[in-house]
Amino acid sequence: MTDRMRIVLLLAPAMLVITVLFFGGLAVGLMRSFNYMPVIGLTEPNFDAYVAVFTSREFYQSFLLTFHIAFTSTVISSVLAIWAALLLRRQFLGKAVINFLFQLNLTVPHLVGAIGILYLFSQSGSFARLAYEWQLIAKPGDFPALVFDPYAIGIILQYVWKEIPFIGVIVLANMQAIGTDYEAVGRSLGANRWQAFRYVLLPMIFPGVLSASVMVFAFTFGAYEIPAILGQNFPAALPVLAYRKYTDVDLAARPEAMAMAMVIAVLSAVMIFLYLRYWRRSIRR
Amino acid sequence: MRRDPLALRSFRVLTGALLIVWLVLPLVPLAIWSFARGWRFPDLLPQEWSLKAWSYALSDTSGVVGSLGLTIGISAGATVLSILVGVPAGRALGMYRFRGKQVVELMILAPTIVPGIAVALGIHSVFIAMGLTNTVTGVMLVHLVPTLPYMVLVMAGIFANFDPSFEAQARSLGASPVQTFWYVTLPAILPGIIVGGMFAFLVSWSQYILTLLIGGGRVVTLPLLLFNFATSGRNDITGAIGMIYILPGILILLLTARHLSGQSGAVGGFGRL
Amino acid sequence: MTHVSIKALSKTYPGASKPSLDQLSLEIPSGELTALLGPSGCGKTTTMKMIAGLLEPTSGDVTFDGRSILHEKPEHRGVVMVFQNYLLFPYMSVADNIAFGLKMRKVPRVEIDARVADMLALVKLPDLGTRRPADLSGGQQQRVALARALIVRPKVLLLDEPLSNLDAHLRFEMRDLIRGLQKDLGITTIFVTHDQEEAVVLADRVALILDGSLRQYAPADMFYKRPADEAVARFFGGHNFITGISDGVLFQSALGPLHLPDGARKGPGKLTFRPENVKVGVAAENTITARVVERVYLGTQTRLRLVVGEVAIEAVLSPDLVEGLAVGASVQVTLPRQTLWVLE
Repeated sequence: MTDRMRIVLLLAPAMLVITVLFFGGLAVGLMRSFNYMPVIGLTEPNFDAYVAVFTSREFYQSFLLTFHIAFTSTVISSVLAIWAALLLRRQFLGKAVINFLFQLNLTVPHLVGAIGILYLFSQSGSFARLAYEWQLIAKPGDFPALVFDPYAIGIILQYVWKEIPFIGVIVLANMQAIGTDYEAVGRSLGANRWQAFRYVLLPMIFPGVLSASVMVFAFTFGAYEIPAILGQNFPAALPVLAYRKYTDVDLAARPEAMAMAMVIAVLSAVMIFLYLRYWRRSIRR
Repeated sequence: MRRDPLALRSFRVLTGALLIVWLVLPLVPLAIWSFARGWRFPDLLPQEWSLKAWSYALSDTSGVVGSLGLTIGISAGATVLSILVGVPAGRALGMYRFRGKQVVELMILAPTIVPGIAVALGIHSVFIAMGLTNTVTGVMLVHLVPTLPYMVLVMAGIFANFDPSFEAQARSLGASPVQTFWYVTLPAILPGIIVGGMFAFLVSWSQYILTLLIGGGRVVTLPLLLFNFATSGRNDITGAIGMIYILPGILILLLTARHLSGQSGAVGGFGRL
Repeated sequence: MTHVSIKALSKTYPGASKPSLDQLSLEIPSGELTALLGPSGCGKTTTMKMIAGLLEPTSGDVTFDGRSILHEKPEHRGVVMVFQNYLLFPYMSVADNIAFGLKMRKVPRVEIDARVADMLALVKLPDLGTRRPADLSGGQQQRVALARALIVRPKVLLLDEPLSNLDAHLRFEMRDLIRGLQKDLGITTIFVTHDQEEAVVLADRVALILDGSLRQYAPADMFYKRPADEAVARFFGGHNFITGISDGVLFQSALGPLHLPDGARKGPGKLTFRPENVKVGVAAENTITARVVERVYLGTQTRLRLVVGEVAIEAVLSPDLVEGLAVGASVQVTLPRQTLWVLE
């Protein structure tokens, strides 16, 4: 058996799954978004769904909100994850605890964290009760709306809670592979602690941080259950809006849902493309 | 390293402590709720404690136990499938170079970037035609989409470090391909299978929208059940289910902790994306 | 031009049962090129890191021109360390790597460019400024690392195994470059190595460290002529240690009476001489008769194992001098007085 045949055979099952389920799903979604479904007699593709979507104020508000959620969560998580990784790479008391908690966090599903955030930050939640205890508020309504709010603070908190360990573990592995010698060289050449981090270490860990951030951005943009639990109904996050349209009694809304799904898919594709084309190339030379 | 200035050290300790608290914090109210009998504002802790939520959750009427079994079954099934499909693919990507490899890598890793909802709506249509909607099989199959990339990623990393000369050596000593795989290859890649399997299981375990759409609300896995109770306002039962829901994850972590901590090849592989 | 003084420097790592470095004391004159020589784990790299400020000593002191530097931060000490794997910053060009120290000190851009150009010329890499480290050969990378270190005009330069990563033919080129630069700029330089040849070829003086303590600190030839003790002699490849008694003039042993050079110690001890100093033939003194029991042809030399009674000695000679000498034959060899030394 030639190598080529062997490779094909080894890859066949995985490629089958990916092409049929993943790309097939995307393709069907694409077709449906154009109202093109020969199986049930719709043979004339049209842009109706897209027109409806792109002229809808609700869509733009959802899109902006979702982008804000994804962007803010990713930036905050990345920065804090780098700090956490810097913390964790030295030996200190409590390091084992944090390490364990990081790994524990990785196993806790987003949904549980979201419910926890809900119970902590809602207007009748634990922090509100603390505020009452400390006589900062008189009734639940006085506590600022951190969940079901227009700035999606609760949602962002949830994502930050989950993604700091995710990005942190990756960045830490990276840092440990690089070692501390490069920074030592920088220090001996006259760089202070901050300069050694900023000019020596940061460029070296940046590719890893970037790839992790891309994954986080895509996830936080397209996740359903967290905004469903913690978010406002209007404007809703884009995945929530899409699901709502899909399960609408009015079947005409389905192609619109597909169109939104395609928008979400395209956005992720754009992220990958940008990452591969520009950042990876400029970093990898 | 030499001693850092006091300000920096204190800052580190402070932020470290904050981090520890922050990591545990969201789980705390869930745990408390599960043991509470009514817990109204503005009480910081429940006035009355009770095991009612737990006994309900573990009873036959709530369906929690059944859902737990179902979810374990689906995730285990999806994991096994991922292993069967992902190990050979990982071998191909880790040990060989070929034209179009980057394209293949991108295709297999695409589901980690493209959110489930973008794909699920389309898959739903296909599955309707195939009669797979509202079935456990259908849900298990669709879980393959997000779990497979992680499995392949980990296995590719493992195989990249695997020296095929071992297999050649075994063959030249008279071992058949099956024997070679069983005695030489498998022990070497087993840590990767464990880590990858763990990732796959957890990814499947936490799936929501895929199960909701493909299962049609008939296949009620634990996250779906949890979501329902959470939106219904029964915080005590939600707390109990939440605790049950995170248990298998913790168990897996404890069982495979030694594989994860030193496994920079597997975890660090994410940084190579 | 800095005089480095190491005073009773010790380091015990937390949890270790014995110190990695035990009371090391060394005076390194200004402008000298000194080798810290010793096998892996002997404490030499630990010493370097403590001078650089990357490690804190358990006790002892390090002074530059009489002033203790232990309390200063690494970036203020004026010590630059060049690591064995060069550690050029991978995401910067060669020019930016070299300019790094100046950039950190906020030197004006114009001055930086000029000095970087000078440095590149000095290390004979004038056109490589825009390249990335990954595009350079090992030897070129080392020059860049040196340039990067020297451009900030350090008080002390530390080199970690500077020649060990290089091919044989590059070694001499680099050796000349390092010595040339060091002498021109007059920078007190300390380097660490486990390879005695590297130490001998590069250093003005060698400090041999075994098991965390200093055994001998002297110009290289003294380790061959006058080793401080048996361990030192063995480290440098000495093979002959004959037990006996010295009275300062003669050494009495199974080899018979042998004349000693001036200054030889008195009392019971071990006579040592190097295999390459054994001469075939008769001389006015110190000639003994031995029997050949083994001979091995080594290409450029022949190694002989000779016995006198029950004592065996090793000699290494040019092959043509011993061509006809067969195993079992008797031969007369001379141990010249000046090549003998008595150890404890």
